[in-house]
Amino acid sequence: MSAATPTIETADGAVLRVAGVSKSFGTLQVLNDITFTVARGETVCVVGPSGSGKSTLLRCINWLERPDSGRIFLELEQVGMTAGGFLMRDKELSLMRTRIGMVFQHFALWPHLTVLQNVMEAPLHVQGRPKAQVREEAEALLARVGLSDKIDAYPARLSGGQKQRVGIARALATKPALILFDEPTSALDPELVGEVLTVMRDLAHEGMTMVVVTHEMSFAREAAGHVIFMDRGAIVETGRPEEFFRAPSTDRARQFLLRYASTPGQGGENAARQEHRS
Amino acid sequence: MSAADVLAIFNGAVTTLLLSSLGILLGLPLGLAMALIRWSRVPLASQLVAVYVSLLRATPIVTLLLLLFFALPNVGVPIGPISAGILALTMNTSAFNCEVWRASLMDFPKDQLEAAQSVGMRASLRFRRIVFPQIVRSSLPGLINEMSLLIKVTPALAVVGVVDITRAAVRIGAETYEPLPPFFVAIAIYLPIVYALVSLQRWLERRRARLEAPA
Amino acid sequence: MIHDFGVVWAERSLMLNGLLNTLILSVLSAFAALVLGALLAMLLTHKTKAPVVVARGFVDLMRCTPFLLFAYIVYYGLPSLGIKFDNWSAGLVALIIYNTAYMAEILRGAAAAQPPEPAEAGIAFGFTGFGLYRRIVLPPLLLAAGPVVGNQVIQIVKDSAFLTIIALPELTHAASSIQSRHYVPFAAFISAVILYWLLCLLVETGVSAVGRMADARR
Repeated sequence: MSAATPTIETADGAVLRVAGVSKSFGTLQVLNDITFTVARGETVCVVGPSGSGKSTLLRCINWLERPDSGRIFLELEQVGMTAGGFLMRDKELSLMRTRIGMVFQHFALWPHLTVLQNVMEAPLHVQGRPKAQVREEAEALLARVGLSDKIDAYPARLSGGQKQRVGIARALATKPALILFDEPTSALDPELVGEVLTVMRDLAHEGMTMVVVTHEMSFAREAAGHVIFMDRGAIVETGRPEEFFRAPSTDRARQFLLRYASTPGQGGENAARQEHRS
Repeated sequence: MSAADVLAIFNGAVTTLLLSSLGILLGLPLGLAMALIRWSRVPLASQLVAVYVSLLRATPIVTLLLLLFFALPNVGVPIGPISAGILALTMNTSAFNCEVWRASLMDFPKDQLEAAQSVGMRASLRFRRIVFPQIVRSSLPGLINEMSLLIKVTPALAVVGVVDITRAAVRIGAETYEPLPPFFVAIAIYLPIVYALVSLQRWLERRRARLEAPA
Repeated sequence: MIHDFGVVWAERSLMLNGLLNTLILSVLSAFAALVLGALLAMLLTHKTKAPVVVARGFVDLMRCTPFLLFAYIVYYGLPSLGIKFDNWSAGLVALIIYNTAYMAEILRGAAAAQPPEPAEAGIAFGFTGFGLYRRIVLPPLLLAAGPVVGNQVIQIVKDSAFLTIIALPELTHAASSIQSRHYVPFAAFISAVILYWLLCLLVETGVSAVGRMADARR
């Protein structure tokens, strides 16, 4: 367990490598020299106080935000830049993005499409896969997240937890190498959080490579392969969850955990959610 | 096009502006009165207003103008082109204004009225001091939009022979065998007036959004 | 008076021909204006400045110009550019160009009121450019903008009446000819008014249908 940022491993089993990524919005430095690696089948949880840059980091990975410096590699291929060092064109970036799934805090389902159509949309119209096959796979995915009875409903009719499960099925549909979760349960009422975390936990145990920004410490403790703690745009500490939660090595991590995870279970998570909502 | 021609167009513009202003000034209170009739649900009158508004909002101004100009003398009411023009503009704009006022009235929070009632205010006082000042503010963008629309349909007046800006432009074009330049002059006159109104409307809407935004 | 309506009834084929012209002109130009307006709206909301400035200039110009004057310019101006148009085509072109600007502005306004997340999800899932616009951005936009677009279609129906001035045989023109031939102004123009009213009812039925589709997804 280290207190400083780890060096880049030259591991071939790495699905994601983030190297020296920095980003500012105007004069505000939101990300400062972020470096880490995610191995195949690993679940990485990114935790930290609000404003620490966690969401921005996630959005840089699939280039929804463009990093000012640094490089990002998905399975040895650089994201956003071609091998020659030029900016990727729309078409190349588009293909890259089908290999990275994303689950949004506010679900971001497409309101004019039914649940099934939402899941089928990207495989059909971005990847161009045959309709019958896409439909079959979409129905299977929706069954897997427990929403077979809602396939013809419109998103507006679903509860928050149901919408997020559709969001997860939608992210799985393009068969990505990696799925990014941007605070997937922060916008949910407390009683709906469990159904989403269950799906995510199952995904992690089935070997999906995941990067999860979350306040749900219980999930991080159970499902994470390692935890990254960020504060004010930098990685302050990383480590395996057993070690990080029991005995963090930096003061800032200790302070953070005192506020958010002092009581195992509901209390800490609710405090995090309250702070986030205000 | 000579200087005299441009002057003729400007004269036409004065006529257009005068008639538009009359139409606007008459149409505003008339629209408000009709909106109040519908809002208070006066029996029979509100249904008549509803039909009137529905018909007038669906009728092109040219058609209305021709109807008034030719049909009224036929039933014994002599009417000249200018009066027909003013009448058509007023009828048209009052119908649209009615809907703008009505939207504000329907949006008006009922509890304010109840509060006024509970301190003993009677209907006319309630309207004058509580309702009217607020609906003026919320109707303003829609009413200004209506004014810009009214100005944009005034070329129709040329159809019945009013020597407005359009008729002047047509006449000069026919005389000089160059139809386009007078129309460009005409548009150049309309542009700043309509643009001023549209900008005013946008400014009002932005201001209202800012004032009403949650703190 | 009843006799006057009888005269109009006798001339009903002329009236119906006028109605048909109005209907076809309105439907064609509304559809074309909506499609072109959707494309123009893409320019209005573009990332780079140049297309925005050009598009904005065009839209503001059309919004501040009376339609009748614009129709005159198209009618008299096109021949000087070497394009020979009959009055029907000139009228159609004028309606389309004019209303493309209005539809673009309507769609731009509706787009500003849409939540950004679904579009962002579209980008995250690999949708780009035209595909993103057509499959992700445009459908909810059209559903939301239904009533305002419907209003503009009614405007188009009414603007078509201006074209009587360039001797296009639409509904008002038909009523005028019946009036001038048989001296039945009230009957002729009231009949036209009722037909315009029915057309508007038709448009509003369409708007309600779109509204129901929107409600199912709201």
